[in-house]
Formats: sequence, C-alpha cells, structure tokens
Amino acid sequence: MGIDIVPMEKGGGSDGTPISIEELDKLRQVAEKARRNVIKMLFYDQTIHVGSSLSSIEILTTLIFKHIRTDSSLVNKDWLILSKGHAAPALYAVLAEKGYIKEEELWRIQDITGLLQGHPETFIPGVDMSTGSLGQGLSFGIGVATGIKMANGSGRVYVIMGDGEQDEGEIWEAMTHAVVRNLDNLIAFIEMNNFQLDGSTEEIKPKNFLPKVWEAVGWKVLNCDGHDFISITNAINEAHKAGKPVVIFAKTVRGKGFPAIENTHKQRSSPDDARKYLLNA
Amino acid sequence: MMQGNIYSMRETFGRLLADLGDKNKDLIVITADVGDSTRALYFREKFKDRYFNIGISEQDMVNFAAGLAAVGKKPAIVNFGMFLMRAWEQIRNSIARMNLDVKMFVTHTGYSDHGDGSSHQVLEDIALMRVLPNMKVIVPADPKDIERSLPVIINEERGPLYYRIGREYSPPITVGQEYEFKIGKAYVIKDGSDLAIIGAGVVLWDALKAAEELEKLGISVAVINLFSIKPIDESTIEYYARKTGKIITIEEHSIYGGIGSAVAEVTARRYPVPIRFVGATTFGRSARSQRDLLDYYNINYKTIIRETIDLLK
Repeated sequence: MGIDIVPMEKGGGSDGTPISIEELDKLRQVAEKARRNVIKMLFYDQTIHVGSSLSSIEILTTLIFKHIRTDSSLVNKDWLILSKGHAAPALYAVLAEKGYIKEEELWRIQDITGLLQGHPETFIPGVDMSTGSLGQGLSFGIGVATGIKMANGSGRVYVIMGDGEQDEGEIWEAMTHAVVRNLDNLIAFIEMNNFQLDGSTEEIKPKNFLPKVWEAVGWKVLNCDGHDFISITNAINEAHKAGKPVVIFAKTVRGKGFPAIENTHKQRSSPDDARKYLLNA
Repeated sequence: MMQGNIYSMRETFGRLLADLGDKNKDLIVITADVGDSTRALYFREKFKDRYFNIGISEQDMVNFAAGLAAVGKKPAIVNFGMFLMRAWEQIRNSIARMNLDVKMFVTHTGYSDHGDGSSHQVLEDIALMRVLPNMKVIVPADPKDIERSLPVIINEERGPLYYRIGREYSPPITVGQEYEFKIGKAYVIKDGSDLAIIGAGVVLWDALKAAEELEKLGISVAVINLFSIKPIDESTIEYYARKTGKIITIEEHSIYGGIGSAVAEVTARRYPVPIRFVGATTFGRSARSQRDLLDYYNINYKTIIRETIDLLK
C-alpha cells in the first residue's frame, strides 16, 4: 500500500480511498476494543444499555478518532452530542481509548463511587452535552452551531440520534429550525437499527418515511452503513461539502457483534453471555 | 409600531432589555413567536442579528438557548410563562442540570392575560421553577422593581434564572422606596409589629392597601417584598416571624408550592408561627380585567384584612 503521506486528520489513503489502510486498522482496533469493553461492563453492571451502545460503536469511533477536531476555543472545536444518551457506555469506551477516561473507570460505571453516569454528563471528560432525555440533542446542537457562526468560529457540530428518538415532537421543532439558520456546520446522524425500547419500530411507529421528511424540510440527506468506517467517512466528507445542514441515516444493528442480543430489542444481557463472547471473540 | 404604555410591566421590561443590548454584545434574545406580545421586539428593532424568533417551538427554544450558552453567548428567552412550562423538562434536564447561563423572562403570568382565560394564565410556574437545582427565581412587584433588577441580572448574574412579570396591570408599589436590587434579598416596604404580610408581584398593592386599612383599626402591619423567591431571604423572614408572630402570604400563583410554601419552609425550620395563605387554589377564567380576577378569586386586600382579624382573635 506504500507510505501514507496524508496527515491523519485529513485522512485518506494514497490510492484515493477516504481512509488509509493504517488508519482503517486503527479504527478497527479501537472499535473492537470498545465493543469488548462495553460487553465487559456487564460483569460489573447488568443494567447498562448494551444493545443501543453496540449500535453506535463504529460511528463514535470514526467521529472521535478521525473527524472531531479539538481546540481550546469553544467556537473552533468540534462538538459531539450523543442525543441518544443511553448509548453512553459506547461513548465512554471510545473516549477511554482516546485517553479521556481511565480504563479502570469503565468498570465502575453507574457505581456510587464512579465517575461514569448511566447517561452522559458534562462533568465527564470528553462529554459536550448532558443527555439522557431523548430529543434534546439536535436543538442544543443548533444553538451551539449558531453560536459558532455568530463568532465566525470553525467548529462543527455532530449530533447522534436514534430512530426511536424520532418519535419526539422536539425533533420536528429542531428539524424545521436548522434549515432556517442555514447551518452548514451541523451534521446529524440517525441510527436506523429498527428497534426502540419496547419492540421493533415497525410495530410501534414506522420510521421508513423519515428520509423523505427531512429532505422535504430542506436537509441534505445522506445514507451510510453505520458499522463500516469507509461508508461513514464517505458520508461525513460529503456532508462537509453540502453547504447546509446534513442528516446521515446510518443503517445499524442493535447489539451488533454480540450474538446474545444482536438484532433484537433487548438492551441487556448476563455476565455469562459476556464471558462467552469475550472468550470466543 | 407598538403603542407603548410606560407604566406596563412588559413595556418597561421590553424597553429596558433593548437598552441593555448596547453594552452586552453577547446578549441574545430568543422567543417562540410572541415577540410583539412580550415586547421582545424592541430588542429586534436595535439588534436584528441577535434576535431569534424560532417559531412556535418552546422545547426547541430552550435547548437552542442552552446550546448558545454552552458556546459562551448570553441567551435570554422571552416568552409567555405558561407556554415555557411546556418545556419544563428541557429546562430541568438541559439548562438547570448543566447549570448554563440562560435567563428566562416570562410575561403574561398569573391572571395578567385576563381575557385569554385559564389556558394562558400560569399559576404554577414559581413552584415548577423553584424546585429546580441551580435555578434562581425573581418576581418584581412593579415597573420600578424591573428598573432596579434587570440591569443587575443582565450585567452581573450568571446561571439559570427565571424572571416573572405580568402584562399591563402594574399599580405603583415600590415607587419612592429606596433600595437596590440584590439576589436573595427581601425588602421591607412598610414596617409594622403585629403582623407581617409577605408576598411578591403586583398583589403587593393589595398588601399595602390592607396594611393601610388595618392601621386604621390600630393594627401595625409590616409588608415585605419577597423580590427574590429563590434564593430566599431567610433572615428577614425569621426576623419578622419573631417580631410579629403572625404571617400572611399573598401571591398571584397557586398556594401549593408557591411563595406561601417557600415562606412556610423557612419559618418551619427557623421560627414556626401561624401562617395564612392568600393565593390561587384552582384554574383561572376569562375576565375583562386582571383586577376583576384578583377580586373574583379573593386574592385581594379584603381577604388579607379578614384573615388578619381572624388570626388576631
């Protein structure tokens, strides 16, 4: 493959792919470690939302390790808002790989003595918004993106939402608001994993019409495979060129890679299942 | 353009907020399509690029403001009190939980939106706001109180704050009084020794009127302007509980969880005395004036006098 002469932040292989092989290996390693660590958390706490977390691992890994730019200025840094806050274990696991959180802290998740809360809080390093109540991240992201524009900052705002979350009325309020503000620095992900808390989205409230709605409202709509680093990166690179707010519908699988709950509405599993996975995978 | 009444609560507020925009370059005014009714539009006339009418979307408005505060702006939400309560959970989970510098200025509270009826008359907001960690709750009595407090709040105060005003009705209450606004401070606007009336907002006019009538009967009544509901001035409340031994609270708000409850929480801990609560106990209704509603629901000086005589038996 030759020597990768493109700086990591810019990304891209010398053969024209959006990610070099070395970078792709790194992302794979990080995601695999984060996946194992989320499942390992089941040894310590069985109430975390494993299913939703495993749906988000690759998107979080790609954003945090490839796209998010840090800066001491609030308006020149990129913001990452996990609106689907119940995927916090995935966020923590990826942030641990990046060095924001000590790995031993992961095993104290939700413990009374621990730092890591069941849902993200801004007092946790690397967390940009306290979430946990669905439907609020996009509006907050519009506020941040607007503030950045007013200050002529270079920061971008990434918001990660779930498909179940789209039931919230505030999403409509925010979706119609963002286009009025002309925010070309706002990129939203919607993970389409076809499950919400009580069951499949199809039986509870179908979501298949959503891309058409967002497009009709005025968003640039993109699609990606939410577990494929190249597909995610292609979508993000295209989003940067859109000149308006972008929503990326990411096809994902609940419980991805963890056979005990994969592609079901189940969030939780047992330490035994976790042990089996960690021994075999 | 709008015909302004300089003695109205919202008019005084709207003009002053626009003036404060000169010095505060990061001040941003946000409303959910009630810029005209709340007088937020005066700010827009001067600072179009720092004014956002985001449409009839209160939940989005709250989180939008939270996001702006997170990048260092100073957002001021200006809205009807009632419809901001629709976004209580957003206020709780985003503004209060992250302790963000978002100010909420609400108009049309209590019975001030008399004609629109119970759907618009918020009588529960003080309870809903003062229960929130990090939240400050301020209730000015009249336009003069707005002039005292708004510059301090915009120029100096940081963190979540809820500021409650009405609409047009604004009898002069504190004109001629000499005090400067300070967060957490209550003001004695009339001294007395037999009974203390503690309240906030336009109903303090009734407190003063009752005190005047009671003086004629030889009863010495203190009237305390509980300008800052939260943080609350515990020492002044305790001092007057000890001094008078009897308290009547008055509020244009539900007596359940409102100003009376806040006062009772203080006296129960520091110096328990008998308290009578004058305020709302149910939904409002339409009327041709705010005054008609206050009288209809017995939130007036007559009730205070009756309760006082009963307390003194």
